[in-house]
Amino acid sequence: MTLDELQPRRVGKLRAISLHFIRRELHNRYLGSISGGVWALLQPLIQLVIYGFVWTYVFNMRLPGAGATPVAIVPFLALGVWPWNAFSEAVLRSATVIQDNAGLIGKVAFPRGALVFAASSASFLLHGVGFIVVVIASELLGVPLQLVHLPLALLAFTLLFVLALGFGYLFAAVQVFVRDTSQVLAQLLPLMMFTAPVLYSRDYLPERFRAWLGWNPFTFYPEYLRAELLGIGTVGIGAQLAALVLAFAVLALGYAVFRRLDARFEDFL
Amino acid sequence: MNTVRNEATVATGGADLLAVARDLGKSYPKVFRRRDRLRALGKLLVGIDDLDSVPVLRGVNLDVLRGESLGLIGENGAGKSTLLKLLTGVLTPTTGSVEVRGRVGALLELGAGFHPEYTGRDNVAMSAALYGLAADELREKLPQIIEFADIGRYVDEPVKHYSSGMVVRLGFAIVAALRPDLLITDEVLAVGDESFQKKCVRWMEDYLAHGGTLILVSHSMYHIQKLCRHALWLRQGEVAAAGDVFEVTQAYLAYHERKSVAAPDRGIIAAQGVEFHLLGLAANDLEQETPVFLNQGDTLRLTARVRSRDGRPPTVAFGIARVDGTAVYGVSSEMDGIAPQRLDAHTWVAEIVFDDLTLLPGAYTVKAHPMDTEGVRLFDTIERGIVVRGSTREFGLVRLHHRWNDAPAQVMAQNGADSASSSSS
Repeated sequence: MTLDELQPRRVGKLRAISLHFIRRELHNRYLGSISGGVWALLQPLIQLVIYGFVWTYVFNMRLPGAGATPVAIVPFLALGVWPWNAFSEAVLRSATVIQDNAGLIGKVAFPRGALVFAASSASFLLHGVGFIVVVIASELLGVPLQLVHLPLALLAFTLLFVLALGFGYLFAAVQVFVRDTSQVLAQLLPLMMFTAPVLYSRDYLPERFRAWLGWNPFTFYPEYLRAELLGIGTVGIGAQLAALVLAFAVLALGYAVFRRLDARFEDFL
Repeated sequence: MNTVRNEATVATGGADLLAVARDLGKSYPKVFRRRDRLRALGKLLVGIDDLDSVPVLRGVNLDVLRGESLGLIGENGAGKSTLLKLLTGVLTPTTGSVEVRGRVGALLELGAGFHPEYTGRDNVAMSAALYGLAADELREKLPQIIEFADIGRYVDEPVKHYSSGMVVRLGFAIVAALRPDLLITDEVLAVGDESFQKKCVRWMEDYLAHGGTLILVSHSMYHIQKLCRHALWLRQGEVAAAGDVFEVTQAYLAYHERKSVAAPDRGIIAAQGVEFHLLGLAANDLEQETPVFLNQGDTLRLTARVRSRDGRPPTVAFGIARVDGTAVYGVSSEMDGIAPQRLDAHTWVAEIVFDDLTLLPGAYTVKAHPMDTEGVRLFDTIERGIVVRGSTREFGLVRLHHRWNDAPAQVMAQNGADSASSSSS
């Protein structure tokens, strides 16, 4: 057997392992409990209803060029909250996944990167389903969504996955050496959320602060999704390219760090 | 680090080497405080790999040919498990390289990697994926695995409900179905009930008969000798002996015999300030704890250095005994009227040479004792192990000088009366 013939076999093995890990991730998080499957669908809907209520009647937030009805505000929020949930959960879960599987790593040889990949994928799968549920719900409630742009939205979601995976590899590797990493992350992630237009629109900020949001790597995603699906605001081609380059740069960096530290995980777990 | 993981590399023809290790070493980093971890992280990130570490395995060379099983022996903490983990690819070597060509099956801790919350069937699927089995291969082998494990309806119960015996059955069944090129196993066959053990042994025999290769860690020399052709003895992370299974196991047993005699600490003896004590004993210039290997008919040279408190010349006695303690020969300088040589005011040296060594193959202990000038009081002992190699079928301890007479005339004359007078042997 030559090397070329071996390559597909290795890829096949990696795929099989990743699929198993993804299944376990999903199983552990939701599907293991009796109400799990239902809960996975119900939770985003309940969350959305609450957000809609609070934003409309408590904070009295108005969309640029739209009325203050819960119906209008809900998809606006959804396009910020779902990507964020997927992203932050993927990063947090990935960060501890190597440490959590120390037992397995110490006994069986397998490509450990699959664990990180599975943790991130599971988060995006779950919240991807939630996202689709929300889109359908909005459509049924009569909010005009530009569904022709849905493929573009899913592409942006995929790019966000690339970004999350990059951070995931990075923090998963660092966590093995510095155990406080995940705690620090849990503190920093909400900060990242509030400095990105997840729960608000950039227009609500005073003029001099608006440009600052551009430094947050997450800002691009809710703005792009809202522009494409709701037609609120625009995102320039420059920002799109920057997001693309950044996501793959983070993935390259994260994976490089992971590869470099991988061989020493056993010694420090 | 040019490590080739065991994923799916297959021998590329030529000599059918299954596992190769060259100058293989493993060190574990010393990490006690949080700062150590941070420093280690920083170093590794900039590509420096010289962490402050404790070596557990050093300079191991290993060649395992297809079909030639290897036994690993050594005391607890000698590095056997580390070596196995390096071979399975769980650990990455610190120095040197290790390469395994072909599929490796590991029976280290049976059920390692099983998740207690999942059913046996789920865990089988997971293990199979980790071993690199594709989904269709698994589908094909699943019935076989379930049949071999023979745990009935439990296969669809969570593994946490299993008895330890059932976990073992399932773990073994997976490896059995994989038919790995190289099977690495710890002493795990001693679990499970009688009938399952028999099943395992039958499978193992069949596996070995069909060209399977085994790396076995065991404290049972019987099993090592029965299943392996080669053995490797690890001592404090280094190879103490490697080669033919009988030689290595004998040397290992000899070492244990000597160790259990509990040799007194040399430092303590020196501090006691007795009249005479040994500074060292070398066999063929080698002053080592591990046995010295010789061939039948070689020259054995024993050199003892003695310190004399009062500067009086010592008498030095040398002895050879079989590992079980049976004395073979002993002699002292006083008996032969020889005086040890003086090196300085308080140090003396005596050397005895056995040319054309007549010891039969086996493991022996050589000893040296310093005695007082008169050859009466005995003060100290150092022992060394030697192993004599050879393939003779003679038995006993030494080859006695002998000859066979051809047709003794008087016997012929007596015409078969009493043949006991034959002077042979």
